[in-house]
Amino acid sequence: MLTVEKLEEYGADTKKGMSRCADNETLYLRLVDVTVKELSSGSLGEALEANDLEKAYYIAHKLKGGVNNLELKPIAVPLCELTDLLRNKQPGDYKDLYDEIISRTNDLLAL
Amino acid sequence: MTAKNTFNISEERRRILLVEDDLVGQESMKATLEDRYEVLIAETGEEALEIIRKQRETLSIVLLDLLLPGISGIDVLGRIKKDPEYSRLPVIVMTSDNEAEVECLTLGAVDFIPKPYPASKVIRARIRRTIELYEDRETLRLTEKDQLTGLYNREFFYHYVAQLDLYHQGTPADAIVFDINHFHTYNDRYGRKRGDEILKCIADKAMSYVNESGGIVCRSGADTFMMYCKHNDDHKALLTRLSACLNDGTDGDNPVRLRMGIYANVDKTTDIERRFDCAKMAADSVRDRLTAPIGFFDNSMREAEILREQLIDDFKTAIREKQFVVFYQPKFDIRKDVPVLSSAEALVRWYHPKLGLVSPAAFIPLFENNGLIEELDHYVWAQTASQIKDWKERINISLPVSVNVSRINLYDPELTDRLLNITKENGIKTENLLLEITESAYTDKTDQIITTVKDLRKHGFIIEMDDFGCGYSSMSMLIDMPIDALKLDIQFIRSAFKEQKDTRLLDAMIKLAASFEVPTIAEGVETAEQYAELKALGCNVIQGYYFSRPLPADEFEKLMIESPKKEDK
Repeated sequence: MLTVEKLEEYGADTKKGMSRCADNETLYLRLVDVTVKELSSGSLGEALEANDLEKAYYIAHKLKGGVNNLELKPIAVPLCELTDLLRNKQPGDYKDLYDEIISRTNDLLAL
Repeated sequence: MTAKNTFNISEERRRILLVEDDLVGQESMKATLEDRYEVLIAETGEEALEIIRKQRETLSIVLLDLLLPGISGIDVLGRIKKDPEYSRLPVIVMTSDNEAEVECLTLGAVDFIPKPYPASKVIRARIRRTIELYEDRETLRLTEKDQLTGLYNREFFYHYVAQLDLYHQGTPADAIVFDINHFHTYNDRYGRKRGDEILKCIADKAMSYVNESGGIVCRSGADTFMMYCKHNDDHKALLTRLSACLNDGTDGDNPVRLRMGIYANVDKTTDIERRFDCAKMAADSVRDRLTAPIGFFDNSMREAEILREQLIDDFKTAIREKQFVVFYQPKFDIRKDVPVLSSAEALVRWYHPKLGLVSPAAFIPLFENNGLIEELDHYVWAQTASQIKDWKERINISLPVSVNVSRINLYDPELTDRLLNITKENGIKTENLLLEITESAYTDKTDQIITTVKDLRKHGFIIEMDDFGCGYSSMSMLIDMPIDALKLDIQFIRSAFKEQKDTRLLDAMIKLAASFEVPTIAEGVETAEQYAELKALGCNVIQGYYFSRPLPADEFEKLMIESPKKEDK
């Protein structure tokens, strides 16, 4: 079960993340759970696989918003990088970045 | 324990539209705001526009994410700001894209909330401040404008005139007041809707003028508008332009007519409200002048107004200090070979301590308008009765003296008692205090006037109908109302003896009075020719400069002593 302490160990800035949720710990943890499920749903990976960069950008941007608001920093770093690449439709190593995102997500799920 | 007042706008939860497709964003924002606001959520641009369309009136603010499925946030913002119905709704954009800020501000966003969000307390403070500013602006917008015409109201107009003066000190400007002749009759005759159409039409024309030529305009009252604009010599063109849409035949033969008062090249050291008072004065000076509907303010108007105000202010003191002095103009019975002094008319003069002798023409019409004439009449009646008593006691002469009874006093239910008290207090007979009632008074409340006159006559007062021939009711009045003498209007005499002498009407009047067995009095007789002609026509009594100007009491006393008396004839 996710706790604030575990998330702190993981590298999230929970104090800052909770400050955006009116300091409501229950809400914060629920939103982290929802975001992690969304990350692991595979929708971003499918869009990248299909080379639908516009859809991938929309999903990545949306996920980035949640991750950043919740201050899940280990996931935020590769996710922001991927979003920037997708925004500019730059060719790049999307797969490596996506894999890193999934890896960091799995780390979180393992807490 | 007092129940909380829930019917209070300041306590009402404001409604916020959050346009956000991300669940984390939605939930965290709801947690931030829901204790103070009602939060509606739209996940797409289309949903957002639909909610705005349906609930515009109760929305206080829109929080708008830029990256949305379907219509983008930028598009949503653009559509809100382009639609006049929604454009005043404040929109705060939420974005992590710093580069979008300039575009959003240009489109009309009022603020930004960066992503990731600041702490909840920061968001709450920004939203509360934005809503306060928006509501203040709306209050200002609603109160500064007249709802019907969309023009400023008077108070804001004065404020903005002051602003114009600050920024354009050296620019010559005109203060203009314009209104509609007898506007209330348009509402009565054609309905309020048509009246409102007329007002809107004038407002549109005025607005279009100031938009082109510079300046501002307001609706200051029911049908009164005020304009402050760059000086322009062609005010006739302005009037024509303002009137352009009015006479389209809608109102039949009763076209709408504007009148305009102008204080041109205003003195900018003069108080702003005063400038428009001056323009209003100029507009009033052309009331009912259909062929010359533009009046210009000049200093003589201001001086006349100052004089009027001073006379009103000084009235009470003048009564108390007996500054009003009664003069007596003799009336001569001319039926015999030698004119015989038969009575006099009491005429009031004002010896003002600062202004000197003030003409009755300056204060009688003024006091008739504001009602002070009622008290002045009482004063003159008492002074005259006291003088009659004095002459009777000292020189044993009881000559009747006529006093004027103003219209307002004719409506006084205590008039008879008041006059009886005066005669009783002074020990004089009622027939010695003649009462002059102006013919025009007869046109209003006819029955009441007739009853009053009959009552006065019953108590022995003699009634002289003053200014006969200047009104419209002369003929029927002679049948209905019992009177004892008829005074021909002074203008009648003047008209009859102009260069083209024509006394036919005078002759007819005198014969008409004679057929009712009512003696005629001619006032304003100034020449021997007039005297001779009136005598030949059968006029009974003459008053005027030919015999004597109005005299102070002591001079009139000498005249009485020296004049042939009726018994000397």
